[in-house]
Amino acid sequence: MTTARNGPPPSIASSFCGLHFASPIVLLSGCVGFGEEYTRIEGFSNTDVGGVVLKGTTLEPRLGNPPHRVYETPMGMLNAIGLQNPGVEHVVSSILPALDFGETRFIANVCGSTIDDYAEVTRRFDDSPIDAIEINISCPNIKEGGVAFGNVPEMSARVVEACRKVTGKPIITKLSPNQTDIQTNARYCIEAGSDALAVINTIMGMAIDAEKRQPIIGNVQGGLSGPAIKPIALLKVHQVYQVAGPLGIPIIGQGGICDTNDALEFIVAGASAVGIGTGLFYDPLLCRTINSGIGDYLARHGLEDISGLIGSLELPGPTGAPEVC
Amino acid sequence: MTTAETTSKSHRGTIFVEDAEILEQFTHPADQFVLRVRAPRIAEVAMPGSFAHITCAPGLPMRRPLSIMRADRDEGTLDFLYKIVGEGLGRLSQRRPGDSVSVLGPIGQPFRPDPERPRSLLIGGGVGIPPMVFLAEHMAAGTDSGWQPLVLMGSEVPFPFRLTRVGEHRGLPGAASAAIEDLQAKDIVSRLASMADLDGCYRGYVTDLAAEWLSGLADKEIDEVTMFACGPTPMLEAAAAVARRFGVPCQVSLEEYMACAVGGCAGCAVAVRTDDGVAMKRVCVDGPVFDAEAVFPPAA
Repeated sequence: MTTARNGPPPSIASSFCGLHFASPIVLLSGCVGFGEEYTRIEGFSNTDVGGVVLKGTTLEPRLGNPPHRVYETPMGMLNAIGLQNPGVEHVVSSILPALDFGETRFIANVCGSTIDDYAEVTRRFDDSPIDAIEINISCPNIKEGGVAFGNVPEMSARVVEACRKVTGKPIITKLSPNQTDIQTNARYCIEAGSDALAVINTIMGMAIDAEKRQPIIGNVQGGLSGPAIKPIALLKVHQVYQVAGPLGIPIIGQGGICDTNDALEFIVAGASAVGIGTGLFYDPLLCRTINSGIGDYLARHGLEDISGLIGSLELPGPTGAPEVC
Repeated sequence: MTTAETTSKSHRGTIFVEDAEILEQFTHPADQFVLRVRAPRIAEVAMPGSFAHITCAPGLPMRRPLSIMRADRDEGTLDFLYKIVGEGLGRLSQRRPGDSVSVLGPIGQPFRPDPERPRSLLIGGGVGIPPMVFLAEHMAAGTDSGWQPLVLMGSEVPFPFRLTRVGEHRGLPGAASAAIEDLQAKDIVSRLASMADLDGCYRGYVTDLAAEWLSGLADKEIDEVTMFACGPTPMLEAAAAVARRFGVPCQVSLEEYMACAVGGCAGCAVAVRTDDGVAMKRVCVDGPVFDAEAVFPPAA
């Protein structure tokens, strides 16, 4: 697979939903606050990533969950922040004006308890400088007994459809792994107007203090992230790509990416961009390392950019259909 | 982060990542260790109350926050005192001189001594001792401030310091006759408390010892006191109650599980009382130092 290549060095830049991404890396919602927090670290720069997904935003301010909100587990961590945020009005009027949109693409993350909430938050962001809108469909639907919108394809589609009606900005739907058939859900979201998909959100889990016989996370359950979920995320990206790829719908692959090889695996599986979250907690300067590593890989394989790598997985067998069990 | 801070970008580049060489790893009783690393950029700007986020060992997905006990600008070193409480610090304790650990710091809002109240009552409990050492030595090193730090420490296991016998100090019981040698050498008064019958220690809670000292002060002297506390939550609550009883301001340093430690994830947020009601504040960058009244308000 190694091919010498003459000409200019390969580019790690790409176009994602018509947006210029300087790098395939997207910083994930909930990990980097509202875009400025990690710039506290010397050597970190938003210019090193294609996009930054801002913290999940709701119609009204939310205090979030009680402590403990995070806890380390084998090769991963649980989190249950509870969507702490100051509400969309404050985000649009006070936070977005202070961001430097020349540095990267800033993507809002929209959350809601009802479909109307989702639509209203999306509408507010539509009238703002935000570059794209990610819909977090993993929130509980309070009108349907608290079932997460994203667990049911029909409900996912209704959320996307409502948001689609109020914005012309690119919509990225963040799919949950906590469901039976992610391919059907992806198809419904695309048909409802989603321009891209983010795969995957965290996997629900819990931790227990056996001495105290109490849950460690204040919210009892939390989302598992980190290297522990990478194989699951990789399979989900592979599965969703089979639906989204033929339709030209790009995927942000995410779940436990901690180094260049992880990122490459997701791109080969079908991701046009890769999300980094928990990996940043261990190595805050990870993005530059991965950018450099992807550039080296492209040069080594004679590729001009990542477009030829996306979904380039070579499956065994004449049909390429994997055995599920 | 406030809007003004964000606009000015003054926060940018204020936290450093250093691959820090381990210089010493001192072992003390009861799984206590003092780690000394070379991290000159962090040591240059660290202030009492700030902390660092450390990779304890490869393969652990999360770093561990440790309070800075000493920052030597001339030598470019940081000292951390820690006690093994889980796998991460257990693995850190196995690291040896010459090994390298990634240190992210300095992080957090430091203690804010008030020059109008130079009588500084520093209360440290268990693993909350380190920032009190840093604050006391920082005050003692100041040439024009006139700080008068009194360090009271509590522990149920042997103190991880060399101790010395000292005479009586005004307002403190004679039974508290042991002091920390390093602090004594810098003319910093220190006394120890324990419920474990440790030799030379006041038998009781460190906050009881603090109350005893405060009760011996004249009203005018009380007006010159600020309390600073770091330790287990029950100790901090008791310190806040003592401060309220004597009408002195008190700053407490909190601990919480952390993921990013730079304000990005809000994983370490705790409830804090503000003028606008209860808010969830991040221990990492909004703290770790908060006003005691804001986090331990009087019971309704």
